[in-house]
Amino acid sequence: MSQRLSILTLTIANLLIPLAILIFATGFFPYKPFIAGRASYGDGKDGKNDNKYGTAPFDKVVFMVVDALRSDFVYSNHSGFTFTQSLIRSGAAMPFTAHATSPTITMPRVKAMTTGSIPSFLDVILNFAESDTTSSLANQDTWLSQLKDKPEGKLVMYGDDTWLKLFPSVFARADGTSSFFVSDFTEVDNNVTRHVPLEMRQSDWNGMIIHYLGLDHIGHKAGPRSPHMIPKQAEMDDIVKQIYQAIETEKHLQSTLLVVCGDHGMNEAGNHGGSAEGETSPALVFLSPKFRTISGGSESPLVVPESSFEYYTTVEQSDIAPTLAGLLGFPIPLNNLGVFIPELLAFWDDDVKLHLMQQNARQILDIVRGTFPGLPFDGTTDGNGCASLNSDGETLDCLWSWATKSLDPPGYGDGAEALRAYTEFSKRAQNVMSSTASNYDVGRLHIGIVLAGLATVACHTTASTALSESRSSGLWTSSVIILYGAMMFASSYVEEEQHFWYWASSGWLAWLFLKQHSTLPMGGFWKAWLSVPLLAILRVIRVWNQTGQKHAGEPDIAKTLLPAHNSILWLLVLATYLDVVQRLSRRALPWTSRRVSFAASLALGLTALSFKVDFTKADAPELLDGLHLFFFLRPMKEASLIAQARALFIGIMALLLLSIFPVINKRASQAGKVEDIAQPPVDAGMLTDEVSALRPLHDLFTLFLMTQSRATNIPLFLLFEIQCNILDLVELSGVEMTLTSHLFQYASFFAFGGSNAISSIDLSNAYNGVAGYNVVAVGILTFCGNWAGPLWWTSATALLLSKRRNQGRRRRWFEHVSVLTAFVSSGVLSVMLACMALRTHLFIWTVFSPKYLYSMAWSMGQHLCINIGLGSLLYWVETS
Amino acid sequence: MAETTTEAKPRKLLPISQPISVLPTDVARIYTHIHPILILSLYYLCFPSLVADPVTTLKQALAPLAHLQITYCVVCLPPSKGSSTSPSTSSATPKKKKVTFAKPIAKPPASLKSRIIPAVFSLFLSLSLSAPLLTVILILFGAPLTTHFWHNLLCATHISLLGVLPLFYVHGVDARMWREISGACLPFDEVWGGLVGSILGAWLGAVPIPLDWDREWQKWPVTIVTGAYIGWFVFRYAGGYLLRGKRIEFD
Repeated sequence: MSQRLSILTLTIANLLIPLAILIFATGFFPYKPFIAGRASYGDGKDGKNDNKYGTAPFDKVVFMVVDALRSDFVYSNHSGFTFTQSLIRSGAAMPFTAHATSPTITMPRVKAMTTGSIPSFLDVILNFAESDTTSSLANQDTWLSQLKDKPEGKLVMYGDDTWLKLFPSVFARADGTSSFFVSDFTEVDNNVTRHVPLEMRQSDWNGMIIHYLGLDHIGHKAGPRSPHMIPKQAEMDDIVKQIYQAIETEKHLQSTLLVVCGDHGMNEAGNHGGSAEGETSPALVFLSPKFRTISGGSESPLVVPESSFEYYTTVEQSDIAPTLAGLLGFPIPLNNLGVFIPELLAFWDDDVKLHLMQQNARQILDIVRGTFPGLPFDGTTDGNGCASLNSDGETLDCLWSWATKSLDPPGYGDGAEALRAYTEFSKRAQNVMSSTASNYDVGRLHIGIVLAGLATVACHTTASTALSESRSSGLWTSSVIILYGAMMFASSYVEEEQHFWYWASSGWLAWLFLKQHSTLPMGGFWKAWLSVPLLAILRVIRVWNQTGQKHAGEPDIAKTLLPAHNSILWLLVLATYLDVVQRLSRRALPWTSRRVSFAASLALGLTALSFKVDFTKADAPELLDGLHLFFFLRPMKEASLIAQARALFIGIMALLLLSIFPVINKRASQAGKVEDIAQPPVDAGMLTDEVSALRPLHDLFTLFLMTQSRATNIPLFLLFEIQCNILDLVELSGVEMTLTSHLFQYASFFAFGGSNAISSIDLSNAYNGVAGYNVVAVGILTFCGNWAGPLWWTSATALLLSKRRNQGRRRRWFEHVSVLTAFVSSGVLSVMLACMALRTHLFIWTVFSPKYLYSMAWSMGQHLCINIGLGSLLYWVETS
Repeated sequence: MAETTTEAKPRKLLPISQPISVLPTDVARIYTHIHPILILSLYYLCFPSLVADPVTTLKQALAPLAHLQITYCVVCLPPSKGSSTSPSTSSATPKKKKVTFAKPIAKPPASLKSRIIPAVFSLFLSLSLSAPLLTVILILFGAPLTTHFWHNLLCATHISLLGVLPLFYVHGVDARMWREISGACLPFDEVWGGLVGSILGAWLGAVPIPLDWDREWQKWPVTIVTGAYIGWFVFRYAGGYLLRGKRIEFD
């Protein structure tokens, strides 16, 4: 294939990849349309939402969300909620476990609790792009808007500012707290608590929302078994007591309902986002003295089988919306898929019970009709033997007929059976409508797969020339592609993907050892042994962060060893910074004296280290316990972290520009001279390190990535640097270098603690130098923070490849990109095929969808922007 | 993954080794087929208790395994010719494409005693040298360092007895020979195939561990040991027949 044709093919392949990904994504994560407007009583032609039985037992609600309040935190033996437990025993509190669907992060959960709908996976993306207005619930029907629409309706809100973003200008009084530093266990909650006594004395509101973040912070920081956990629970219990006693004593609060719930739970490592049972089982308690009339109390604390989180009755989180509607007497929100919690129906006599369930069922029927437009739902089908029907729509239609027929003729039907039928219909509808298969756009999925297939074929034709040069590297490359592709179909391999890369990398290094050993000349044997330190460092790197699902939270270096020996941590961090500074000082600012460049590098390095120390002081103060030595490294501790980060970024940028442009200019003039004398062009590989433009660039980039990493991960850069220096000594061919780079990029991603679960996304460095909610800046910083390892290896690969002398330079980079594209396009193709084939699988939302999101980031971010974009730029800088 | 070919390209390190043949006696020709069956039966019998208690089982299985391997060496394999002499008849450059097998060692077997002593010596070497080395390799490849030390050591000892013991027996401690071995340049025969197979099998044995089947046998190091035994069995025959005389091709 001619050079020009293969460049064209490769370009087309790389253009097809994002196209395929986006088309597939629109089919896979369809935007769920919602019914606009507000529900109101008596607006239906068949009397739905009719409030002729207006006997709501409550007129006010205090909705208390405790972030990550897992069921066992309230109900088990080891709980700080002693007062709440006493209320459960007395019957004044009705306990439930509220099943939260994945993704278990705050915004979609709040959406589920307030609208009663099941938020789409798209909300995960929107959760990170927080300023996005499409996620606002201001225009949707929620129980908040229903409460507000009541005469005298007024809402107040204190706590997590997610609520303020979701409900702009809904609250009359509000004080939002942001969860900026998870190390803050107390301040963030005190800011909420101080408003409680004041609001308890006010009588002007009918809905109050308080959202505590401290417990979630403790979880993220130290896990569910942290010593801080029980005192925090006791603190929360005290607030419950305070509010409950106010309800008992204050006259204007006598018909107030208190709801205490978690938005999601947490896993054993204290994280959430996925679908482990701990993450999906938050507690839900309804409290009021009035419940004593309908409940005789339940056993508390309760003992359940180990590693189970199902306490009392399990309901769906979306059931909160219709239940509140019934208890407070307002119409059920239009998009609700929740079912009134049957235990709470006991407030009413049979007529009203039936009416409430009927209302609930009719409201859900509106949504069901929209999903199954071909079916009648008019009660004409036979209402018997519904269980034997195989299509979901027909079953629902049949259940609906059963329900309507059991009331025939009106006024004389069997009320008890009708109640059963309506409940059955609603539950079934909830099940069907929240299940997965309903709304894929299969056509788009197919288009995406075909395009990804075309990209794969296209780039394999260009990569094949590079791969055919060496049979063994070709075989390794295709084995990695095939094995990785096959792995995408098994949920546990997706969850534990890190093992594949560690396993393949160590095999590859062993192969390199054997290969070098048998092909190097007799005197060069020692070079083969360079694989051994590479392997040893890889062994250290792989235990740096325990990741994946199965062994998350087990002892490792970053979360167990280094926090326990924090002086070692900071010595390693210091060594890493010093290493960068010493390399930088030799290569930065090549046009000035050595002394100036040393001073500049040292100043920048100190700024970076000082920022990291200050940041850690705020983010993870326990890592600095007892280390007063380091406080002299905080010359800027008076400045805000944002200002420090900005100063640092500007410094890096300035040094970068000052270092590379002079070199490029010089080189351009040299090249001009060479042409004049008509000599063969200078081989840029002969350039000494002093004139290398990429070297200082790489070091500055390293400094930036270190700024974007947690303190405990920073020593990894030192290990990478050693690996990179060793790789420089080993003589690898172009394809071998590419394969090594690919393996190390993936391995390093997981070594930094990454995984294929949403819960492992690290947002701690996402706001460095950003004051407001700048989506673009926060997005880029989040990506750099989570992909720091792969980004580093991209830059290192450009450095390593540019030093090789034995081949045409442009051709070598072209081969590198074409082999990488082969890896990426086939990876994307297999993820798409897996998502397509397993779209009705139980784990589709919990394992495969997050994997798809990750592979979007890998292919569009890491591959297109970084490996091709940034990598080519760096390579060009070095070799132009 | 290992591409093989008979073509002997010019190498920097010229391999001088020749494939090993089984001794030309009837007993040897028969026992060389009985031996792998005995080994696999031993493994099969041990499997339930291996899953239940790996350390004890691996420890108890060492003695029978060592006996079987020594018997195999003594009955079937030609002992090395001492430490310093390389096989005299083998030429450094095999010019013919067809390698002639078994010529250097087609002599009738030496006395029993002169075969038992090197076999015991090989056992000693494989326990003291290659077992610790393989432990280090296992750890470098990701074996749990702090929690499963005995598991790793015993697993490495099994691989060592399976794969390395016969290699010591047939090649002795010739330095040049071992440089070839560490560069994996030996021609395939049933001894070298056994070592390659057991190591490759151990590496592949790690594959089922992350699966969420929650079976007891997924625990460390059951799959590794299993992989090593199966790999040894497969490559022993592959090396003895299919791949015989070929070398791993690195380019």
